[in-house]
Amino acid sequence: MGGGGFTMEPDNPALDHFLLTLLEPREPRLLFLPTASGDPREQLHRFHACYDGTGCTTTVLSLFRLNEHAVDLEELVLSQDLVYVGGGSIRNMLAIWREHGLDRLLREAYAQGTLLAGLSAGAMCWFTGGITKSGGAPAPVRGLGLLPDSLSVHRDGEPDRLPVYREAVRSGELPPGWAADDGVGLLFEDETLVRAVSSRHGVGAARVEADGTETELEVTELPREPDPHLRPVPHDIAEFRALRRARG
Amino acid sequence: MSSQRPPQIVAFGGGGFSMEAGNPLLDDYVLSLTGVERPRVCFLPTASGDADHYITRFYRAFSGRALATHVSLFREERGEDRPFAERLLEQDLIYVGGGSVSSLLGTWRAHGVDEVLAEAWERGIVLCGLSAGSLCWFADIVSKFNGPPRRVAGLGLLPYSNAVHYDSDPQRRTSYHRLMTEGMLDGYAAADGAALHFVGRDLERVVSSRPEARAYRVAWQRGRVVETELETRYLGATQPSSTALAA
Repeated sequence: MGGGGFTMEPDNPALDHFLLTLLEPREPRLLFLPTASGDPREQLHRFHACYDGTGCTTTVLSLFRLNEHAVDLEELVLSQDLVYVGGGSIRNMLAIWREHGLDRLLREAYAQGTLLAGLSAGAMCWFTGGITKSGGAPAPVRGLGLLPDSLSVHRDGEPDRLPVYREAVRSGELPPGWAADDGVGLLFEDETLVRAVSSRHGVGAARVEADGTETELEVTELPREPDPHLRPVPHDIAEFRALRRARG
Repeated sequence: MSSQRPPQIVAFGGGGFSMEAGNPLLDDYVLSLTGVERPRVCFLPTASGDADHYITRFYRAFSGRALATHVSLFREERGEDRPFAERLLEQDLIYVGGGSVSSLLGTWRAHGVDEVLAEAWERGIVLCGLSAGSLCWFADIVSKFNGPPRRVAGLGLLPYSNAVHYDSDPQRRTSYHRLMTEGMLDGYAAADGAALHFVGRDLERVVSSRPEARAYRVAWQRGRVVETELETRYLGATQPSSTALAA
């Protein structure tokens, strides 16, 4: 996502709910990684506000706060259907992931078919590189390289990134790739772009080539009002959870 | 000026404003080391992910008696466009908060903060911190963040190992001793409320904010781990006033 989702547009869950439509399990497992912004509580609450009650099992992994019980990172990351990465500083996030070995685990998760998603830093990280403002002025930065292209985010919201991105692609510092507005999601399957969707009207994304060619993508606007019956908690699961809560 | 001071690090096993509300003894001690009446103090909350509530508590504890500021590596600070290196090197005291030491070290290295802190230390800017903010200064540290205790390489300004929260969690001692049999460097352990004060690379003294808080030298000698309790100076009132009150 070039921007958007529950951390940026909490009143518009279109992109967040679109992700759920890509998942097959009856009770999908969702993991949120707010590392790039230092795990602020507000993001954690918004994640739960967005996804609790949609039939998903939701977990937030903090790499800052001590968990009451030790978490087996490998087991946690590799058992998810969707890993959703928040925005913030991509430089901090990748450095911290490396310290905890999360970069390796996310590669493995991708290889075994886990849906990976995120906005801003959490979107660029999947690509070979992007444009960061972690150090103030926009500058090229490397990502995990799961996707061979590059990505520049907030094309409309932070327009100072785009000229730096164009230049990085032109000079070969970054491979060709995509520039996306806030509210735009690009869906890749097997490293190929298969769909571009948006949470609002009038936003878009473009393919940016080394020779300067820019081609606007065809973007499908997602329904503004989410289906209130989208993935309701199945009856038996709701009952089981109520029982577990009652038992403490 | 800072150039008059030797390199100094005060490593808290735990304590200070973030753990001992209402007990400013350790914080008072590090402020006194600056030799400045109104020292410039910078808080580095990196290990907590620059948590807002933590930064607020720092200002509440320090703005009354110091020129308090902080450096965030996660969020842009409005009205602050000078590079962090410049802002860190003009301090009298740099105070590192607790949290995850691995996340702290990763973030620092990504930004080059590690090099700036080494320079600050050489220049005589007092460095201190608790928990992750203690461990970070040492070469070989015990991190038990998220899982079994393991060895992590710290900044290495102090060429020893370090363990924190030592008496509050018996598992810390067991794992520190075990890691030492596996080749961990000799070093120092401190309990909550105890602080190791190093001048240069030498331990100058141990101070505490609680009469019972202890620190230890832990070393591998002739095939076994030897733990020696260190003499500790309690920074509070010398006579036990509680007894007097009870009488």
